[in-house]
Amino acid sequence: MNGLSRRTLLKVSAASGLGSTMGLPAMDIAAAQQGEQLLVVMWGAAWIEVSRKIVDAYVAKTGDKVAWELHAGGAMAIVAKVKPAWPRVNYNLISGWDPVFRAMIKEDWVEPVTLDEMPALKDIPPVFFQKNAKGELMTVPLSTAGAFWGYRTDLVDKPIESIEQLLEPRFKGKLCVPFPVNLTGLLMLTLAMQRGGNERNIEPGWQFLKELAERGQIGRVINNNSEFINAMSSGETSVAFFNIGAWTQVRKQFPVKIMSKIKDNKGFLFNEGFAVIKQNDPKKVAAAKRLANHFATPAINEQYNWPLGEGPTNPKSKANPDIADVFYTPDELGQYAYIADFEYMASQVDSWAKRWEQEIAPLIRRS
Amino acid sequence: MRQPRLSAFQCALLAPGAILLAVLLVAPIALMAVESFRPFVGGRVGAGAGWTLRNYTELIEPAYAFYFYDTFRIGFIVSAIALLLATPLAWQAARTKRRAVRVSIFGLLIGLLFMSLVARLYAIQMTWGTNGPLAFFGTLIGVPARSAGYAAIQVAIGLLHFVVPMSAIILIGTFQNISPRLEEAAASLGAPRWRVALTVTLPLAAPGLLSAFMIAFAMCISNFVVPLILGRGVVLFTTNLMYVRFSDVANFPSGAAIGVIMFALAGLVIYFMTQLVRWVSPEAQS
Repeated sequence: MNGLSRRTLLKVSAASGLGSTMGLPAMDIAAAQQGEQLLVVMWGAAWIEVSRKIVDAYVAKTGDKVAWELHAGGAMAIVAKVKPAWPRVNYNLISGWDPVFRAMIKEDWVEPVTLDEMPALKDIPPVFFQKNAKGELMTVPLSTAGAFWGYRTDLVDKPIESIEQLLEPRFKGKLCVPFPVNLTGLLMLTLAMQRGGNERNIEPGWQFLKELAERGQIGRVINNNSEFINAMSSGETSVAFFNIGAWTQVRKQFPVKIMSKIKDNKGFLFNEGFAVIKQNDPKKVAAAKRLANHFATPAINEQYNWPLGEGPTNPKSKANPDIADVFYTPDELGQYAYIADFEYMASQVDSWAKRWEQEIAPLIRRS
Repeated sequence: MRQPRLSAFQCALLAPGAILLAVLLVAPIALMAVESFRPFVGGRVGAGAGWTLRNYTELIEPAYAFYFYDTFRIGFIVSAIALLLATPLAWQAARTKRRAVRVSIFGLLIGLLFMSLVARLYAIQMTWGTNGPLAFFGTLIGVPARSAGYAAIQVAIGLLHFVVPMSAIILIGTFQNISPRLEEAAASLGAPRWRVALTVTLPLAAPGLLSAFMIAFAMCISNFVVPLILGRGVVLFTTNLMYVRFSDVANFPSGAAIGVIMFALAGLVIYFMTQLVRWVSPEAQS
């Protein structure tokens, strides 16, 4: 008989069980000798592509090894994933942006970083960092990004000057908007500001959104970069509000006008980067900081941001000239750019999500 | 009549399964039920301290009734269509004398079961989507391709991919268990084919048909990935609402409350369907 006998199977199982039990410490020792094994959470699409390229060279140089995990859905989803598992999480670095970092700092999951142990951070302007109550630096800012309205010029018959025009019949079913949880509710903020509101006076935004939903203008509600890129690249929708990184991917293939300088609205700026996650093993923490520092060095910060279409946070890095038309000169900042109160918005997102479900989604469904 | 008590040996045999069920099924659901009574603080992750009924009272809003209704309505329609499509396939597979036909049907069904659902969903999106070559179908039936109604049709098509093979495989067993001699006897007494099917085959297959419907319905209402990919964010099942709460907002208590309600509703549906099976076919009670 060619099959595996029960006795052989038991022997093999016992041997492999014993082997794996005894082998684990041995593997740890081997990993320590050859460098640390890190687990890094990163976005998909262009983010993971450029990160892999950067890390391949880094791994060859340092001996540290990097395994990747991709964000599923919005970056905030990682917070919900960490919570039930904490403190038994294996993540060493988590990529995210300001509101996600605020939530992680509140939960006390983030390791403070210092300029002494991460020299590349000395170049980065202090305003880009998220800090804790003690004033310690808690994040490694890598990119200056933004969320903007924009449209595909090949699919829209005449230019859009104001987002009030999105109520016109020509945009029926052609708007792609993020679910209010995404971008921590920046969609609500831009709509509110259009009608004279702000973060704390969001009601005008709801009224505007109801008008859009009632008229059937909203064709797609997205939750992440990939959905946005698919919706805009396929031509399913032609106008959207989303982050510059995802816009840049669409701009590589199609003519796109990003409305970063509109008279009656704003572009919304924020920072993306890494948070170093607390771990019991100081060697892992040190390795995570080493890798994050590498991403913040001028050459790598430039290499990282160039294909993403985002601005580098290290002033010694050059920005991709393709995004020059999107971002602002110091004079333009006050007129066109807005930095939202993400801490306040993060505290409202739950109620905004429920209000969307109760008031907006049924309107879209019936339109 | 009093049921005989289980012997110690029978209890010992049942114990591993019971423990596994308790750990893998009962414990997580119990934990979810407890979580659903916890308060949530905006901006924080998970549940706060204390107890509240708010997670349930806020679901009394009529809008939420619409989500439950929409989920159950689409699930019901899809399960009914799945049964209509699966029954002739299964009957043919069970009764045909031609091996090639039987092998082809089995191959199709098993192939559909094993082929990645996500790949199939994206194929549906490319074909039936707003810009797909078959998008004109929506216009033909008066549902514009960019409308939410058309997104609901796409979700239904996606769910059919999911449940038709499963229903057909269940029904093949049902038809194989019905003796063809009964149909032959009816035919020899002069009954036309349609009458044999309606008065002999279908009544005998009723318990199997209802079981297949019930399983298809349960698979539809608990589905998450089909409305996520094909619903374009405008057709939302209750599973999608749960996902947003757990994953995007980190409001675990509210997500848990929806889960508990879905669990209770699904239990009720299964109870009534079982009663229906017993009513239609009393011998199924045994």
